[in-house]
Amino acid sequence: MLDRIEFLLGEALTALRRNGMMTLAAITTSAVSLFLIGGLSYAYFRVQEYGQTLPGKFEMRVFLRSGVKEGEISRTAEAIRKMPDVATVTWIPRDLAWAKQKREHPDLTEGIENPLPDALKVKLKALTNADSVADNIRGLALVDPDGGVSYLKDEQRFADQSLQLIRWLGILFGSILLATAGILIYNAIRMAALSRRNEVRIMELVGASRAMIKAPFMIEGMVQGLLGGVVASFMILAAQRGLIQFLDSVKIQATLPAYPMLFMLGALSLAGGAYGLVCSTAALRRESA
Amino acid sequence: MQSILTPYIELKNVEVVYNRDVCALRDVNLQIARGEFVFLVGKTGAGKSTILKLLSREANVTTGDVLLEGNSISRIPRNKVHLHRRRLGIVPQDFALLPKKNIWENVGYAMRAVGATKREIRARAPEILDLVGIAHRADAFPNQLSGGEQQRVAIARALINDPPILLADEPTGNLDPEFSIEIMEVLERINQRGATVIVATHDMPVVERMRKRVVTMEKGRVISDVVPEPIVLETAVVDA
Repeated sequence: MLDRIEFLLGEALTALRRNGMMTLAAITTSAVSLFLIGGLSYAYFRVQEYGQTLPGKFEMRVFLRSGVKEGEISRTAEAIRKMPDVATVTWIPRDLAWAKQKREHPDLTEGIENPLPDALKVKLKALTNADSVADNIRGLALVDPDGGVSYLKDEQRFADQSLQLIRWLGILFGSILLATAGILIYNAIRMAALSRRNEVRIMELVGASRAMIKAPFMIEGMVQGLLGGVVASFMILAAQRGLIQFLDSVKIQATLPAYPMLFMLGALSLAGGAYGLVCSTAALRRESA
Repeated sequence: MQSILTPYIELKNVEVVYNRDVCALRDVNLQIARGEFVFLVGKTGAGKSTILKLLSREANVTTGDVLLEGNSISRIPRNKVHLHRRRLGIVPQDFALLPKKNIWENVGYAMRAVGATKREIRARAPEILDLVGIAHRADAFPNQLSGGEQQRVAIARALINDPPILLADEPTGNLDPEFSIEIMEVLERINQRGATVIVATHDMPVVERMRKRVVTMEKGRVISDVVPEPIVLETAVVDA
């Protein structure tokens, strides 16, 4: 068994060496396509993850009309709490808010009577429905309809648009490059079959099984895709490091999560290997047709 | 079960049509016994190679049937053809040697392709190379060998499965006459060990010298099938 595996691997390696340039082209194109698909998928999940953490950081401020009573505030808070997608509601009394302002900005607040209304701090469960929650709150009687609700609408839009952009970029460029890589692997295998027609003929003459004849070519395609995956995972690592350095250089403080190297290496290698196998099988099907 | 009257190899009303204009074989009937040495002779395009291809299932009949020990070769499923080929030794005209491998590796490569282990190769390859008389050149590369020697390697490779049938397509086609005789002697030696040998050739001087059964073909038909008379050595009686 080991002898047979050694023979098949040896044959595949011979073919890889013999078609050096074609192999290199197939590996690099696979790598770039997997880099784009893998890298953009990685970025997509990261942005999505970030989007999911936004509601936790994200507070909606609800400013009440002037002169409302404590009981009315409690009822309004209760009404908001009952809305779907609302996690918590906290009352911020106007006196406490003003005292804080006075502490933080004594020069600006000196001699001014407290202009702040009572407010409610609302945290959401899901970011996606923030607009409808805001509309519902604006409809409440004690809430100022103009400027009564304030929240970071732009962040939410940015996250959504980023996700969409990443998704489309990934689909568009990833598909184009994946198709290119597939064609290159396909051609590499066909050329390999052509350059090894002597060996194939000998195998046929002496009665080697079809599996034995085809296996080296399939291994070759798989290795090309697999190496493409390995290179792609290192390219993504390099891209993430480059991004961190860039953010540092422009003084943007952002904490990017650690790159899951092993996971990406495994996932992209497997995906590349499987894709290479599919392409080489298709090439051999054509060859033996 | 095979009857003792069943020929070892039999072609029954075989017709092979490649396309509307090319009919490679027409109504060919041929029977070959186990252990025979048969020459298929005729001009180029007579159908000799097609018969070998039918036997190795590189080609298939259009009508009729090709039988080996009573079993149809034509109906062997595609995924079982390789098992059938292991019962045959096939010697192609162009030797089909791997130029970057030496003789030992050429034979070893073929053995590994059919699943032999390195140990099996070490045990069997010297014996095969010895049988065809090329063991002393085992480390040489094909381009360092004469045509006759290359053909011996091709024959050695055909013997790796110890096949009961050896098919040789123009084995002397690329050789000088002196090498042709050597190759035929190798084939005869294999035949004497029990293998059925079928040789397609148009090398008539060699055929005549070998004194074996000769099936002559022309335009896809068998036009004669001659088994040579045994040579009777005359004994001189000397009166005392």
